[in-house]
Amino acid sequence: MAKSHWIERRLQPTDSLLATATVTLAAIVLALLLGGLLMLPFTPHPGQAYWAIVENAFGSLRGLGFTLVKATPLILIALGTIVAWRTSFFYLGFEGTLLLGAAATVWVALRAAPQEGLAGLPGWIFFPLVIGAAFAAGGLWAGAVGFLRSRFGGNEVLVSLMTNYVAILLVNYLVSGPLRAPGDLPQTERIPETTLLPFFIPDTRAHAGFLLALLAALLVWLFLRRTPLGYELIATGFSERAARYGGIPTSQRLVLAAFLAGGLGALAGLVEVLGVQFRLMDGIAQGTGFVGVVVALLGKLNPLGSVVAAILYAGMGVGSEVLQRRAGLPSSVIFIVQSLIVLLILAGDLLRYYRFTWPFRTGRLTATARPRE
Amino acid sequence: MAPLLELRNITKQFPGVLADDRVSLTVEAGQIHALLGENGAGKSTLMHILYGLYRADAGEILLEGQPLQLHSPADAIAHGIGMIHQDFMLIPRFSVVENVVIGLQEGGPQLDLRSAAVRLSDLARQYGLAVDPEARVEHLSVGVQQRVEILKLLYRHARLLILDEPTGVLTPQETEGLFAVLRRLAAQGHAVLLITHKLHEVIDVADQVTVLRDGRVIGSLPARQSSARQLARMMVGREVTLRVDKPAQQTGPPLLQITDLRVRGDNGQPKVRGVTLTVHGGEILGLAGVDGNGQSELAEALMGLRPVEAGQVTLAKKDLTRHSPAARRASHLGYIPADRRQVGSIGPLSIAYNAVLGTLRRYTTWGGLFLNQGQIDRHARHLVNEFDVRTPSIHFEAGKLSGGNLQKVVLGRELLARPTALVVEQPTRGLDVGATEYVHRQLLAERSRGAALLLISAELEEILALSDRIAVLYQGEIMGVLTAGTQDPNSQIELLGLMMAGSPLASLSNLHTPGRSDGPHG
Repeated sequence: MAKSHWIERRLQPTDSLLATATVTLAAIVLALLLGGLLMLPFTPHPGQAYWAIVENAFGSLRGLGFTLVKATPLILIALGTIVAWRTSFFYLGFEGTLLLGAAATVWVALRAAPQEGLAGLPGWIFFPLVIGAAFAAGGLWAGAVGFLRSRFGGNEVLVSLMTNYVAILLVNYLVSGPLRAPGDLPQTERIPETTLLPFFIPDTRAHAGFLLALLAALLVWLFLRRTPLGYELIATGFSERAARYGGIPTSQRLVLAAFLAGGLGALAGLVEVLGVQFRLMDGIAQGTGFVGVVVALLGKLNPLGSVVAAILYAGMGVGSEVLQRRAGLPSSVIFIVQSLIVLLILAGDLLRYYRFTWPFRTGRLTATARPRE
Repeated sequence: MAPLLELRNITKQFPGVLADDRVSLTVEAGQIHALLGENGAGKSTLMHILYGLYRADAGEILLEGQPLQLHSPADAIAHGIGMIHQDFMLIPRFSVVENVVIGLQEGGPQLDLRSAAVRLSDLARQYGLAVDPEARVEHLSVGVQQRVEILKLLYRHARLLILDEPTGVLTPQETEGLFAVLRRLAAQGHAVLLITHKLHEVIDVADQVTVLRDGRVIGSLPARQSSARQLARMMVGREVTLRVDKPAQQTGPPLLQITDLRVRGDNGQPKVRGVTLTVHGGEILGLAGVDGNGQSELAEALMGLRPVEAGQVTLAKKDLTRHSPAARRASHLGYIPADRRQVGSIGPLSIAYNAVLGTLRRYTTWGGLFLNQGQIDRHARHLVNEFDVRTPSIHFEAGKLSGGNLQKVVLGRELLARPTALVVEQPTRGLDVGATEYVHRQLLAERSRGAALLLISAELEEILALSDRIAVLYQGEIMGVLTAGTQDPNSQIELLGLMMAGSPLASLSNLHTPGRSDGPHG
C-alpha cells in the first residue's frame, strides 16, 4: 500500500559519525554556495575569493599567526561555555567575564610596573599570580549567577545576559575613573614590558596565550572525562533528578560549573590584554564572548573540537579582512557566510530525525535479527 | 457480510527491526478482541498503523471489505476508528462537553455547547457511562476520565475502539466497571480492540484473543477456550511460572521505620499525610494504591530527594530524616525509582558510568582526583554478568537499552551495594513477562538475604505475589495493613480494592476480620 515516500521520520535521532559528518559537510557547502551568490556583485569568481581567504588565513606564517591570535580568546570562551552548558547551566555572560578578567589582569600587571608593589617579580611567579587573579575575578562574577540560580531558581540566560551590561559599564567606569591614564583617551596606562606574553612563532603576532588556551583545552577535556567532579557536572547536566538520586549535591555542582566557566571566560580577557591590547579600554570584548559560545556549539561542546572550530572560525575572519582590504569584498559577506554555516549546522541537527527510504525496495523485505528484551 | 476490520499481511520494517511481519487480524462487529503480546512484540506499531500514524510497508487494511488508506489520526476517526491512549488526552480545566467537542468543526464557527451536551447525555445513557457533561475534567477520578475518552470516540461515531493498556491506572472495581462498559459497547455492535499484556484481563473480558510475538501472529483463538498458562506460553515462547515461589521465612528485626511522615507535593499540597510503617529484615512490605496517591512523594522523601515536613525516618535505629541522599546511600538505603529512564539512570551515559552512579567516589585514584576507569569497567562487567544485562558492551549508552535490560542495570547497581533496606517503586512497570519474572526473583533473593523491602506498586498482582504484608495508601494516608495469604484471595482482593478506593480497614472490619495486623506492628 505504501507508495513512494522518500523521507520518513525516525523513532530516534541517529547519532552515527557518518550522519553527523554528512550533515556538517552539507551545511558548510550550502553556506558557501549561498555566500557565493552574495559575492557575485563584487567578483565573478567566488571560488577564487574563498581560496584567497584560506591562503590569507593559513597560507603564510604571518597569516597563521593572526589566525591563532584571533582564535585564542574564542577557545577560552568556548571552554567556559562547555563547562557551563554541559552542566545545563546556560550561561551567556562571557562578554562580562572577559571584561572582568581583562580588568583584573591590567590591575595586577600595573602593580608590576617599576616602583609598584609587585615590581621585579619573576615571570614564574607573576604569570601564575595574574592568571589566578583573572580566573578568580571571572569565576566569582559568573559564580554569583550560578549561586542565584541554584538558591532562588530563575533563568540564568537572562540574568547572565544582563551582567554583560554591568561589566561593560564597570570597565567604562574604571578606564574613565580610578584606572585612567593621563591623556585624552579613556584608557589605562600601558602595562610593563615584563608582563607581556612572549611571542612563540618568530616574526608573527602569535603569543603564548594560544599555548595557554591549548593547555586549558586539554585540562578541561581531562577534567570532564577523567575526574569524579567532571562526571558529576555532566551527570547533573544530563539529568538533575538522576544526579540527585545518585547522591550528587547538584546545587553545589552548578555553582562550581559557573565558577569554572567564568574563570575560563576571564582568561580570554587576560590573553587579550597581555597578548594584544596591552591596556584596558572600552570596547575590548566586541562580541568575542558570544562568538565563543557559537564556536563551542560548532565544536559540539567538545573541548578539542572547539579548538578546531575556533581556529577555522578565526581564520575566516582574518582571511576576509585581508580580502576586504585588497579586493574590496565587504567582510560582512564573509560574516554572513560564517553565520550561515553556524545556522545550517545547528538546523541540520533536525535532519538526524529523518531518513531516506527507497521506494523500490518496498515489498522485498528480509527478516533481520531482532533484539530481544 | 465482511468483518468490520480486517488486516492482511501488514508488514513494517524499521532499520534492523522487522516490527510487524505479515500480521493478519480480523475484528468482527460486536466483538471484544484482545491483542496480547510482550513489549516489543509489535503491538504498538500495528496500532499506530491502524491509527494512521505510520504507514505499513506492505499489506492492506480492509474496513467492511473496502480497502482503506489511512494518512493521519483524523483519517482514522473519519472512518470510525478511535483510539484511547494510556495517557489521556484531556484538558483538565475544560468541562466534559468541551473536551468532547474539541477539534470538531460541526455547525460552523458557532460553538453550540448546549446541544452537544444533550447529545452527550443521550450517548452516556445509551451506553451506561454516567458522566456529568458540565463537570470539569480535573475534578473527575481517573476511571471517569476514561469514560470521557470513550464518550469522545462515541460522539465521533467510532465503530472500532482501540484501548491501549486501559487498566493500568484503575482500581479493581474501576476495572470491573470498564469491562462492563466494553461488554455493553460490544453488545450494541461496536468492536473493541484491547491491547494488553495482562492475561487475566483477556480471559475475563475478551471474546477473541490474538497473540503477537516478535512481530508475528502466533495464534488467534476464542478467549473462552484459552487458559492463562497457554496464553503466557504463546506470548513468551516458553513455559512461564505465573506463581512466584515465595519461601516461608522468619522475619528479622525492624529495620526501616517511618513515623508520622508528612511530605508535600510539587505544588505544595500535602501528598503524604502522616504515614507510619515498619519494614522488618527479610520482609517485603507491599504498598498498594492507585497511582498518584502519594507513593512517589513517599519514596522520594525516604531517599532524601524531597524535603520532609514532619515525622521521622530511621534505618536500623539510625535517624536519617535530615540526611542527604549521599548519606542515606552510605547508610545502605537503596532505592529503585519508578522512572528508570529519567531518575534511575542517565540515558546518554554508558552502562559503566550508570553502574557507579551513587558509588562513584569509591572508584577513584590519586587520592580521589581521578576516576579509576579500570575499576569502573570491572564493576560494570560484574554487574552485566551477574544480572544478565543483554548489551553489546558496557560502554553502550544506557538510554538505548530496552526497558527490561535497563531495569536490570538499575536493580543490579542497587543490589550490589548490599542495601539494608530497599525502597522499590513500580519495579516491573512496562516490562515483559520474562523481565518481570527476573525482577521478582531478585527481590525475593534480597528478602532471603535479610534486607527490608518496601515494595510500592500499582499492580495488585505484583503486590499479592511478593508481599508478606500489604499496606494501602490512599490520598497520602495508610488505610490499613493486611498480612498476606491469611484469607482467601478473592476476598482479600476485594478488601484491598475497597481500601484503594478510600475506605479505611477499620471501617471494613465487619466484612472481614481475619488477617488484620495493626497496632505497633503496622
